[in-house]
Amino acid sequence: MRFELTEEQQLIRDSVKEFVQSEIAPLAAEIDRDHRPPLETIPKLAELGLLGMFVPTEYSGAGLDALSYVIAVEEIAKACATTAVMVEAHNSLAIWPILHYGTEEQKQAYLPGMATGETMGAFGLTEPGAGTDAAAQSSTAVPTEDGYLLNGQKVFITGAGYAKVFVVFARTSNEGPAHKGISAFIVDRDLPGFDIGEGERKLGIRASSTPPLMFSDVRLPKSALLGKEGQGFEIAMRTLDGGRTGIAAQALGIAEGALAAATDYAQQRVQFGRPISSMQAIQWMLADMATEIEAGRLLVYQAAWLESQGLPHATAGAMAKLFCAEMASRVAGKAIQVHGGNGYTEAYPVERFYRDAKITEIYEGTNEVQRILIAKSLLKSTRRA
Amino acid sequence: MRIAVAYKWAGDPQEANVGPDGVVDMSRAKPVVSDYDAVAIAVGRQLADSNGAELIGLSVGDPAAAASMATKTALARGLDRVVVVTGAGLTSAGATRTASVLAEAVRRIGGVDLILTGDSSIDAGAKLVPAMLGGILGWPTLTDADKVSISQETVTLTRVVGDQEEQLAAGLPAVLAVSTDAAAVKAPGMKDVLAAGKKPVEVIAVTDLADAHAGEGAVRSARPLDPPARRRVRIDATDPAEAARTLLESLRADGVLALRKGE
Repeated sequence: MRFELTEEQQLIRDSVKEFVQSEIAPLAAEIDRDHRPPLETIPKLAELGLLGMFVPTEYSGAGLDALSYVIAVEEIAKACATTAVMVEAHNSLAIWPILHYGTEEQKQAYLPGMATGETMGAFGLTEPGAGTDAAAQSSTAVPTEDGYLLNGQKVFITGAGYAKVFVVFARTSNEGPAHKGISAFIVDRDLPGFDIGEGERKLGIRASSTPPLMFSDVRLPKSALLGKEGQGFEIAMRTLDGGRTGIAAQALGIAEGALAAATDYAQQRVQFGRPISSMQAIQWMLADMATEIEAGRLLVYQAAWLESQGLPHATAGAMAKLFCAEMASRVAGKAIQVHGGNGYTEAYPVERFYRDAKITEIYEGTNEVQRILIAKSLLKSTRRA
Repeated sequence: MRIAVAYKWAGDPQEANVGPDGVVDMSRAKPVVSDYDAVAIAVGRQLADSNGAELIGLSVGDPAAAASMATKTALARGLDRVVVVTGAGLTSAGATRTASVLAEAVRRIGGVDLILTGDSSIDAGAKLVPAMLGGILGWPTLTDADKVSISQETVTLTRVVGDQEEQLAAGLPAVLAVSTDAAAVKAPGMKDVLAAGKKPVEVIAVTDLADAHAGEGAVRSARPLDPPARRRVRIDATDPAEAARTLLESLRADGVLALRKGE
């Protein structure tokens, strides 16, 4: 068994780390304080190739594998969880379904612009009454002679404030089971009747744009349908299978950023005449944090590796997300504890890591949903005849 | 046109440990392309793109400098190909030996019009190699270039001297050391990283050079200097406002601060 990244993956880590230090880390505290999406970073992310990571080179993307992708998200999240989720949502939630379910015309129309950052994408699944129960979609796309008439509302849509294209899910049929009547659509921002509301003010990832979407008699052409009618729920769930690994990588990066800050602080902070890093109580906390991070990294990399090999990865992704989300909250909490009173202030980054970690336990499937998925997989694989 | 950039694959000084005796321990420092040489590569890429030139990376070092990871790291910065001359002890060789081996390699490559170097090496920092290299090759050598342009026959540089700008020109072929501010270094893009492994790499054993012993000499590292004493504290105050006033007066007295009314 080899636990070794390829040279290209190591170089990608080095390159993203260098980019993060010069372009992302300096903004992280400010954009969090001001609840301001770092729009100026988008062209730079695109230039580096981080906005079309899965996209094949023939559509102007970088053509990278899933493991390279999670390495990039992890590195970004070490400094800024908001920028990490901007990259994650664009790549995993908006590009991925178009890449895997889109027609050649749809790929040609959208992927080059998305890969080069000219067209940022977003994913419209969650509704006020359809969170974890994603099949309870009340948005409707009623078939018409020349397409569909879209009505409804979406909430907590990452990137909606600046996105130009949305993968939106809506009910096209009330026949049969609830999840069978859902379809996916590619919706352009400038369509009449499509409005975007005010952004939410949040506990963490404050700079991430998450406003609601409102659709009022939005006329969609037939060419807006992604996949087949009734395939929307499958598209959403498969998209989230990969998305979970990205969120796990984000949580992993948050934890690593928190540990780095705590380690640095512990070596500089002097109490009782010596650095607190020389005290066993602090050492044990740092050791526990490092051990949990290492375990989380193995889960994330394994899930990404399975995906890049084309192997089933949904359960591995759920395990990675569940463990890393809870781990990031624990590690960030300990990082504050190492900092003492200083850690509770905005003068140090660990309070931001702590706030940012919490969302990873909720979005793209709560911890509870991950446990359901893992348990279902376990019971299915061990079902008695 | 052919432009060569001399770069060094050496330990990152940010990861070095300095012992209480002043000895720098680089044994655990991750090797990197020198930050200064990354500037030279960025300048070289701009010049090569605007003049239709080939950009060749040239490195002299221990066998580790020819490892796949080392050459890919350099190539991802925008080089078209690399040539690495390897031999035991070459990474820590003195400037005379390094410059001599580089000169041998440049002659072997042939047709090189311009050699770019960084401001200094990342580890030794002696700033000697460019001048020595130019001297050995008999080429004009210019240093501290903040801006560079080339034509078919001439290299022109601008450098800041005090508060003035100086322009110098030399005929090609030439050696040119660029300043640390000569170009903004960007992280390699994902496509650059993936392309790096497909670019040509030539590894030459130093023993295969026409003069394998060029520049060998007896430069040995001296005893490390005692750590410098901290600068004398000029402002020692408990009141921040008083400290700020003293700082302003001190800066005015040194002539580095001029506050004009109405501006």
